[in-house]
Amino acid sequence: MSTSIHLSRFRKWLLASPPIEFAIGQLRNLLVGAIRQGPVPQHVAFVMDGNRRFARTHGIETVEGHNLGFEALARILEVCYKSGVKVVTIYAFSIENFKRSKFEVDALMELARVQLSQMVQHGEILDRYGAKVRVLGRLDLLRPDVLAAVDRAVDMTSGNGNCILNICFPYTSRDEITSAVRQTVAEYSQPLPSSRPSTTSSRSPFSETHITQNIRAQAQVVKGEDVPSDTETASQSSAEGGASKHNLPNGVYENGSSFSSSSTLHLAGQPDTTNGKAAVSEPTPGKESHVFMSPETITRQTLSDHLFTYDNPPLDLLVRTSGVERLSDFMLWQCHEDTEIVFLDILWPDFDLWHFMPVLLGWQRRISKSKKNPDAEGNFDGDTSDCVEESNGKVKDL
Amino acid sequence: MVSQRDKELFRDDVRSRGTKLSAADRENLLRPYLPDPSDLPRRPPQRRKKASRRTPIRTFIKSQLHLLTYTVIHIIFGIISRLTLSYHAVVDRIFAIIYYHHRTPELIRKDVKSLKRLPEHLSVILSLRKEDDALAILMDEVAELAAWSVSSGIPVLSVYEKTGVLKSCIPVLYQAIMSKLSSYYGSPAQQPALRLFAPHHPIYNQQQGVAPSNTHNDNTLTILLLSATDGRETFVDLTKTLAEMSQSGKLSPEDITMELVDAEISEITTQPTQTTTSASLDRTTMGPSHNVSLVKPEPDLLLVFGPFLKLDGYPPWHIRLTEMFCTGGRSSGITNCDEAVEYHGFLRGLWHYAGAQMRFGR
Repeated sequence: MSTSIHLSRFRKWLLASPPIEFAIGQLRNLLVGAIRQGPVPQHVAFVMDGNRRFARTHGIETVEGHNLGFEALARILEVCYKSGVKVVTIYAFSIENFKRSKFEVDALMELARVQLSQMVQHGEILDRYGAKVRVLGRLDLLRPDVLAAVDRAVDMTSGNGNCILNICFPYTSRDEITSAVRQTVAEYSQPLPSSRPSTTSSRSPFSETHITQNIRAQAQVVKGEDVPSDTETASQSSAEGGASKHNLPNGVYENGSSFSSSSTLHLAGQPDTTNGKAAVSEPTPGKESHVFMSPETITRQTLSDHLFTYDNPPLDLLVRTSGVERLSDFMLWQCHEDTEIVFLDILWPDFDLWHFMPVLLGWQRRISKSKKNPDAEGNFDGDTSDCVEESNGKVKDL
Repeated sequence: MVSQRDKELFRDDVRSRGTKLSAADRENLLRPYLPDPSDLPRRPPQRRKKASRRTPIRTFIKSQLHLLTYTVIHIIFGIISRLTLSYHAVVDRIFAIIYYHHRTPELIRKDVKSLKRLPEHLSVILSLRKEDDALAILMDEVAELAAWSVSSGIPVLSVYEKTGVLKSCIPVLYQAIMSKLSSYYGSPAQQPALRLFAPHHPIYNQQQGVAPSNTHNDNTLTILLLSATDGRETFVDLTKTLAEMSQSGKLSPEDITMELVDAEISEITTQPTQTTTSASLDRTTMGPSHNVSLVKPEPDLLLVFGPFLKLDGYPPWHIRLTEMFCTGGRSSGITNCDEAVEYHGFLRGLWHYAGAQMRFGR
């Protein structure tokens, strides 16, 4: 037993001795420089899992485990940025984590506050080397003093270089998606600022109101005295689900950005009263009505643009330590397409270049292979809809 | 590589909540580890001139050295990964011999009997191949998986295939699965009941002749077919509907909560449309639907039959706590990335799931 203690102490001494330390440092630099030569993932995400278990197995306090985890994070960030990764996203704290013991939550908050406020003190160095720091998540759940530190750090680094560090602080992916949906809806329910005639004339040479008037005139000619008022016609016809004679105005409205009666046709299940209401409020030219962007213009990109990671490159690699093989509400939307997910059976404080290296190499190997042979697995470009059509086409072709 | 002495200094500082060292001390501590400012890509011009004039040869040698190291590392890594691949291939073959189902449900049940837990909802990601009979192969794989799942006692199987080609041929797929089940279970009376559906599609279970009550087997298997359009596209549809409602003043953006989104998204995968004719968006009917939810919306285990773990457009909402297991690649060459759906891969996934500990909230 004593020999092993002596041995480990000797090992520690040897590793801490200046020449060995220097050699290892040089080796690290060499490896990182080598990784730089190939394709490098642009956006890497880490789930820093295993700090508590590390503390338990090593017989130290949980807080110490988190401190060591922070050191591991610093090491990995160094590797990532030196090898050319643009964006690193880390999962620091989940909204679910508030359920943990108050002591641990407080300690984590304190760690974050201390590190962020220390960072702010080194303004000059940060400006020279710094990455942009962003904190993603529900900031309203934070304590005021932590929030102040977060705000200062984010403000200070917002003008910095081209590397980004996303810290997901109280974050869950479901919350992120929900707030993206909410924001999109809020944005689309803001009436357009400009008045209707100007927007119409800028978009197309035809005037909507003119066409509507023409059609009304026609309808009155056809129907004669049947129709008591113009408003009634419009509302009835669209409530019926779009009579054929009104195809023309419907088509015109669909081109425009207004909330048109044609888009209500898609709502098969919606009660008829709203269809009528919407239609009444829309095509009446005299009444001052709100004009909205058409919801049909919402795409996947719209939603992606409302996520916290709206301006980051797509996630290329997600690494989760400690052998737990699930995402735990992290980057659900972002992981979705070509992200390679890697689960490593190692605790986060132990995580270092030596464990990250095989992951990076495997990724580089796959990417350079798929570049050589774009049909192979792991094709890198193109979005889903194109891929679907492409692969359909391929099936037919081959 | 931070030296031991500096590490200790830093740790002391952290322990005392950052009071021990002043900002200048910390900068001094940090300075040796910062890269040379001239190495930065965004350096000011006058510095670059100076730096490149100072060490042109050294920079060249350094980059050549890095390139050489890159090549060497990748050669070594390539050899190692080939070796591991072939090792795994051998192990796979051994497993395939030891564990073979022989189309006997009893054998499959025996294989999973010792497991502590089984997923209630198993999800698999399959991919369409590029051969001529890709669809036939895919359907056969689904049928095999269905047979294994029902034999091992998994009540719900969801199959994700990106293009959604399976959804267009549900009746044929139903026949394929039924014939597979009959090869496992024998006479139709002993076969488990099968329900097959996809989002926005009605449930497909033929009730020709054999009423489900007089079968001897009371197992039921529900198969859910998913495709890429059930992923992000669903959220787009939901947002469109919500935006329309908000524009007509029936809903304010603050009403959109996680619970609402969860309920709406879950409904799509758990409740098939009742009428055969309308495959349209019926989730806008907000009224309380009395459909029993057939499927637990969150899969417990996700099996990826592919060389590496990639979700490939899988619906994002429900995989929050899903265990993921990749059966691993046997694709040694570049061209044949065919991942056979094999019984031992399925079984390994189940073992893995039983061994994993479940912790909520990370």
